[in-house]
Amino acid sequence: MERHNSPASASHSQVIEVNIDIDPDRGTSSFPPISNPSPTSNNKACRGGTCDLSYSKDSPERWDSMRKLVITVVLCIVFMTVEVIGGIKANSLAILTDAAHLLSDVAAFMISLFSLWAAGWEATPRQSYGFFRIEILGALVSIQMIWLLAGILVYEAIVRLIHDNGEVKGFLMFAVSAFGLVVNIIMALLLGHDHGHAHGHGHDHGHGHGHGHGHEHTHDHGHSHGHEHMHGHGHEHEHEDQEHDHDHEANSITTKHHHGHSHNNDMKESLIKKGNKKPKRNINVHSAYLHVLGDSIQSIGVMVGGAVIWYKPEWKIIDLICTLIFSVIVLLTTIRMLRNILEVLMESTPREIDATQLEKGLCAMDGVVAIHELHIWAITVGKVLLACHVTIAPDADADRVLDEVIGYIRRDFNISHVTIQIERQ
Amino acid sequence: MQEKKDAMFSYQFPDGDRRLAFSRQSSFRHSHWDPPLPSPSSTPIPLMPRSHSFKPHLARSDSAVGLPLLDNSGHKDATWVALILAPVRGVANGSRPMKRLALMISLNVAYSMVELLLGLFTGRVGLVSDAFHLTFGCGILTFSLFAMGISRKKPDETYTYGYKRLEVLAAFTNALFLLFLSFSLAVEALHAFMQDESEHKHYLIVSAVTNLLVNLLGVWFFRSYARVNIVYWKPEDMNYHSVCLHVLADSIRSAGLILASWFLTLGVENAEVLCLGIVSVAVFMLVLPLFKATGSILLQIAPSNIHPSAFNKCSRQIASLEEVLEVSQARFWELVPGYSIGSLSVQVKKGVHEDRILQHVNGLYNDLGIQDLTVQIDYE
Repeated sequence: MERHNSPASASHSQVIEVNIDIDPDRGTSSFPPISNPSPTSNNKACRGGTCDLSYSKDSPERWDSMRKLVITVVLCIVFMTVEVIGGIKANSLAILTDAAHLLSDVAAFMISLFSLWAAGWEATPRQSYGFFRIEILGALVSIQMIWLLAGILVYEAIVRLIHDNGEVKGFLMFAVSAFGLVVNIIMALLLGHDHGHAHGHGHDHGHGHGHGHGHEHTHDHGHSHGHEHMHGHGHEHEHEDQEHDHDHEANSITTKHHHGHSHNNDMKESLIKKGNKKPKRNINVHSAYLHVLGDSIQSIGVMVGGAVIWYKPEWKIIDLICTLIFSVIVLLTTIRMLRNILEVLMESTPREIDATQLEKGLCAMDGVVAIHELHIWAITVGKVLLACHVTIAPDADADRVLDEVIGYIRRDFNISHVTIQIERQ
Repeated sequence: MQEKKDAMFSYQFPDGDRRLAFSRQSSFRHSHWDPPLPSPSSTPIPLMPRSHSFKPHLARSDSAVGLPLLDNSGHKDATWVALILAPVRGVANGSRPMKRLALMISLNVAYSMVELLLGLFTGRVGLVSDAFHLTFGCGILTFSLFAMGISRKKPDETYTYGYKRLEVLAAFTNALFLLFLSFSLAVEALHAFMQDESEHKHYLIVSAVTNLLVNLLGVWFFRSYARVNIVYWKPEDMNYHSVCLHVLADSIRSAGLILASWFLTLGVENAEVLCLGIVSVAVFMLVLPLFKATGSILLQIAPSNIHPSAFNKCSRQIASLEEVLEVSQARFWELVPGYSIGSLSVQVKKGVHEDRILQHVNGLYNDLGIQDLTVQIDYE
């Protein structure tokens, strides 16, 4: 899928799109239309065959994410077995409880892995938009589990409060939760420090598309190979992503092109709403990361509680208060992701698209009289679709207007799945 | 357009005629309530309001309070404040199922508070755990209630398809919670199997009985939805069904606990394990169809009430028109049960007038049940 717009037209509103397809075999339509088995070449709705609505199975970013998650799962299982054996030998409920928490971690990772894998399935006529939504539902289930676990932890703190017969050993609690904390930190490092990017080293838009290097965090964009998102972030990010160097050789072609076009990104950036601070990372890895983060925060809380009980066994209420505070912190970390999930599931206009500006831009085109029934929605974070009805003047050329509209939407707002119904006044 | 939107937003109650009693009361409320605030919304206040038209109340409070908060993101966080300010009003003007649900939730919350305090003071862990479980369930039910309330809002700029999806989401959350419940019951059964002491069941009888009574009241409220497999005609169906299954599952669990205690006193060995295991399996089987149905809507699966061969037939019919070269990219999905949306792309020969084709295609798919269709006509 290669398209070179002429640099001469690189004026205020155009972005030069260099779509280098790393895997040339991806060009065939993996998205079968219902009644027509062969891909259409004249179909304006979907230039170049593949509609990006399902992965090719051999996209490297996806495999990278899966590999990371698999390593993390294996590590988690190992730690969990260690804890279970130790807990049975020492006959301590606290250690077994922590092992159960690790088990829940494993469950969350399994959900993420499954979502990642399932998102690569080919679209079927029944599931015509591909399987990307599974990611979102998997993340929702993960987050509900986090909430459930926070509740269980608070319950355990209350139980510790009630059991006044001193069978709670502060030291043991402290030691076990410290071990759990170390394990969680190791896993957080393994999953990659996504959080670093959120704080905006430099400019945010660079970040949002910084992962376009075929980073494992943007598996879900076929165009991560250097499609529309590559606003010249190549040079900005070389020094940050040391650990992801292994991806670069696959994308060396795109990296070179990035440098040439870095100056065009400034224009484009102003068109997409400034609120686009959220880097487009893999939602599954991110939800697994949130899970691990939540667990480490809770481990800290339990450690503090254990230390308190160890030091002064009569101050049990502090343990409960600590646990409550830390549980609330954990819940707060999930709020942002929950909001994103909710917005996608409600089919609302994604935050990064400015619908009013899109409408204004469309109405300003010649031939267009009115726009109605404009619906913009996302299948998953980052994949946006649009459908609308455009009323044109009775004498306008429907074909030309259609081309212009689709081109405008695709260039300026990066929405590739567009369905426009042209009606004459 | 307005009729279509009305059709989308109207609903019927499971018990028919008592609506009239409501509407008479509501008209009193309306006349008292001659609004001091001007209504910026375009919804006219009907003279003889049907019970559905509590909408203006909610819409007024929303738009009047929400307006100063309206920045570019008309997102949910802006309307949160409005809804926190007027939840009581919203429920008071809500539909009958909403009121019943609110009643049940308040009963549950009160009961769990009492249990929690009792458990803390008397030092009984079982009461505390039961209180926690109840509180979680109440939280989920409150989400369902919230979904019922907010789903009547008209579609706005950010939520171009309206808020009805939230009901499906609430039903999904309920189903998910019930799945977790069945899983945790299975774990509890396993735990009881490995441990041989079962002393903690005895003093839970009183709480289990009270729990059972409250939940049975809830089942009675939603009795028309107390089935496992339901055909969903409207989005509220899913929500009500999920609430009903929730209280049903809770009552089954309480009944199971009571039975287990009774069997224990009769001297049956491992009664707990058996009862808990049966309850866990029962809840799982109960909730699975709902989970699948809500999941398939959230996953954008093609509308389940339309057979896939019907879609093929339609596209073949369109492709057989002489001006049409081919039909492609036909995708359909359900927004909520009863409202399906689709988009497709039609390639036609040059110079064909699009109105005829549009009408024909729309007519064909409307017959299938797809209300909202966007057709892109590409000229060759």
